Amino acid sequence: MRALLLLTLLATPGMAQEPRFAEETATAGLATPYLGDWEYMVGGGVAVFDCDGDLRDDVFLAGGAGKAGLYRNLSETGGALRFEAVDSGAGVEAVSGAWPLDVDGDGITDLALMRVGANMLMRGLGDCRFADASADWGFDGGDAWSTAFSATWEKGATWPTLAVGNYIDRMQDAFPWGSCTDNWLHRPGAKGGFAPPLPLTPSFCALSILFSDWAGTGQVDLRVSNDREYYKGGQEQLWHLPAGQPPRLYTEAEGWKRLRIWGMGIASRDLDADGDTELFLTSMADNKLQSLTESANGLPDYADVAFARGATAHRPYTGGDIRPSTGWHAQFDDVNNDGLDDLFIAKGNVDQMPDFAQADPNNLLMQDDAGMFHETGEAAGVASMGTARGAALADFNRDGLLDLIVVNRREPPQIWRNTTEGAGAFISVRLSDDGPNRDAVGAWIELDTPRPQRREVTVGGGHASGQMGWHHFGLGAATATQLRVIWPDGTAGEWQDMTPGFYRLTRTGAERVTP
Amino acid sequence: MVLQRDAARLRRRSLLAGLASLPVAAALPARAASSAPTPEAVLHDWYRLVLELVRHTPIYSPPVAARAFGYLGIICHESLVGGAAPLVSLAGQVGGLGALPAAPAASDAASVLNAALAAGVARLFSHTGPTGQRAMQAMARRMDEKLSAATAPDVAAASIAHGQAVVAHVLAWSEGDGGAVIENMGFPHDTVDPASRSPAQWVPTSRIAQQQAPLLPHWGDVRPFTLPSAASCGLPPPPAYSEEPGSAFYLEAKEVHDAKAALTDEQKLIARFWSDDPMLSPTPPGHWIAIAMQIFERDQTPADRRAEVLARLGMAVSDAFICCWKSKFEYDLVRPVTYIRRVMDPKWEPLLITPPFPEYPSGHSTQSGAAAGVLTDLFGEGFAFSDATHEDDGLPVRNFPSFAAAAEEAAISRLYGGIHFRAAIEQGLAQGACVAAAVNRLTTRKDA
Repeated sequence: MRALLLLTLLATPGMAQEPRFAEETATAGLATPYLGDWEYMVGGGVAVFDCDGDLRDDVFLAGGAGKAGLYRNLSETGGALRFEAVDSGAGVEAVSGAWPLDVDGDGITDLALMRVGANMLMRGLGDCRFADASADWGFDGGDAWSTAFSATWEKGATWPTLAVGNYIDRMQDAFPWGSCTDNWLHRPGAKGGFAPPLPLTPSFCALSILFSDWAGTGQVDLRVSNDREYYKGGQEQLWHLPAGQPPRLYTEAEGWKRLRIWGMGIASRDLDADGDTELFLTSMADNKLQSLTESANGLPDYADVAFARGATAHRPYTGGDIRPSTGWHAQFDDVNNDGLDDLFIAKGNVDQMPDFAQADPNNLLMQDDAGMFHETGEAAGVASMGTARGAALADFNRDGLLDLIVVNRREPPQIWRNTTEGAGAFISVRLSDDGPNRDAVGAWIELDTPRPQRREVTVGGGHASGQMGWHHFGLGAATATQLRVIWPDGTAGEWQDMTPGFYRLTRTGAERVTP
Repeated sequence: MVLQRDAARLRRRSLLAGLASLPVAAALPARAASSAPTPEAVLHDWYRLVLELVRHTPIYSPPVAARAFGYLGIICHESLVGGAAPLVSLAGQVGGLGALPAAPAASDAASVLNAALAAGVARLFSHTGPTGQRAMQAMARRMDEKLSAATAPDVAAASIAHGQAVVAHVLAWSEGDGGAVIENMGFPHDTVDPASRSPAQWVPTSRIAQQQAPLLPHWGDVRPFTLPSAASCGLPPPPAYSEEPGSAFYLEAKEVHDAKAALTDEQKLIARFWSDDPMLSPTPPGHWIAIAMQIFERDQTPADRRAEVLARLGMAVSDAFICCWKSKFEYDLVRPVTYIRRVMDPKWEPLLITPPFPEYPSGHSTQSGAAAGVLTDLFGEGFAFSDATHEDDGLPVRNFPSFAAAAEEAAISRLYGGIHFRAAIEQGLAQGACVAAAVNRLTTRKDA
């Protein structure tokens, strides 16, 4: 068990500034729509990462039936959000979702593209150029309706283990119910690259999957959120991933409780810095905020505290459409830098489902000192009625405030600049580890002021969307803090004294940088 | 087995289905191709799709699903009325249904049924999602292609017109029953404040925000098919609320509490088998429709009999839910989980998820009692059958010596599941028997 911070969760004086965002969709230069009909009713992702080594967050957009697009970030520090399209070599069709990670450990971020058809691993060549490395790396992309992705480095591995979530058999369009196809586990091959994928049977139409040390024990498992619309006999899943052994499902005897929802997206965060993670699961007319019970004792015994904590997005809160909501991407992050993780939820009708809201505003739920969440989407200016799917919170203009990008069906993405006045201070860190796992996936970042914060570095979850690079923390009124990293091998780094700003962290210390 | 897994198997079974077509007119032309769907296959394949649409259309809670089965059954039945066919129209027998369009001189039963079901299903399930819409269109297209290739054009046109006329008539009638429009999946927007309720009254039991109000509080006012009103099958009150140990109410709650601790594996299986959760199953009324469909396939039941059974069974489960809901909101009784946690055991957990509406009587018991009463009248006492409804969901086939035995198991499953007291179960079955008696008084065939 990793050591927890010594500090107790005190009700520190939060900045609690109301967030404000200015939409800059029309001028930002992002032009790739997420197109397609039935086979693209799920998916619609965005990948946020630095593709050219300038420390700025660039944007890759899934295009669905159209071509995907990569955009270089040209935003001035603190200025308007601006991007330019790049001829990247990754602008392929049929992309539903995208996740950045350095697959081959060469220090250049690669892209995992989930597709309706063969999935692809695109090797980063630098300067925002990519080439399909699937064959070179022994990656069998298969031929499925892939919708979800996650990655981890198993202990001692020199290549990552990838999990791919697959949806229904798209050839069974006249009667697809019960046709969920197998998810896949791509483990490293004996000579580098990847071995043939293992089917994760049974599979139940995954729309989000996540490798996570959910209990804070150092053991990574695979959480799968499944769409009950199509499975028979299915439920949410949690897979053990024993070293060198086939994966196996957690059982009821191990504390697993059957849960059946329209699982669409996973957000994970240790909201109370107690060493394990809370999970927010999006669905339709409902959502879950799962927190381990006091008696869980290392078992996946969760209580749903969404209603009790006000973390609900079950129906529109503005716009006059009172039908139930449909939630997709969810993400915890601190948008007003008060030191408390807030929750963004992208929402939108599946496609003309008349019993669900067509005008379904995205949610921005702000967390208060007591752990309650409060809706601010309309006042903040992000209550878009677009048919949203994927999204990302990221500091595109490096002003210390997280901006927002949302992918909507059949139109270019929307993007908002965070203009919150009087927000707290911030620290953003990028991890750079030795060895093949260059971005330290599986590490935990701990911060002690203004209140304890713990964050697991993961790849996966959300809905069709992923990020790699900066980890943003609000500091509230604090002018300094201490931060350390528990590296993926369990080594605890030294506490680093830090003042607000951007840093690169290695095992030898912190280096202030200017992106 | 009725419910199979994929479309390829569905298509294969359609081709292998019985070849007999049902003559509904003396001048029925010979079928041009033996591979064309029979009336039995048309009924089977559409209803198989309907069971999936019930599962995947979020407004289809059990009462709403039952209503759809009622109207669909009548559509099937009335499609086969006329000429030499043995069925008797329900017009004038059920609440406000006027005389239907007369059958043409020459028609093809399969084509009439397909036209009627294509239009009826599309209308009743117009709120289903994009996948359901595609599936309905694919079914209609495939059936139409096969039938039109096998039927003389003039007969096909007359058959389709008649099927559509029947549907138009029945659905126009359905619009005024008070159950046609469902908002917010049936949940009122005004939530119930537990602090405003007496200890005996229902309070929300779910941690889902939408379910902080009871499902369909006015469903008891929907127009029944076979009864003047829901009051025709009213119930006596449940045991008086009391927290006094030794009181009848306390003892019923203690029975539920103690049952959970002593559940056998068989009892747990029974609870799950009859759980029939909305959006995860065809719902309780769909379960009984699935039972009927399995019997049809096993016994190669002719189409006229299938239509008659589907009509009577559909009306029975629909009227049962109307009567049940009337009683639920008349007595507004607290659920076991609320009472037991407050009075006996704060950490008690039922096996099943407690449904979001008042306790008394048990809806599954009422509609199972009604279904069993109707099916027994149609097929006879001691009619044994196997039920594979949930085989695709991993639950094994169960065998029953009679419909009554199945209904009793469905009813007691709610006590095993920890969601109903015994009075709700026993009185629910009694209420269902009352509804069945009304349905069984109908005249549905000439030789009855």
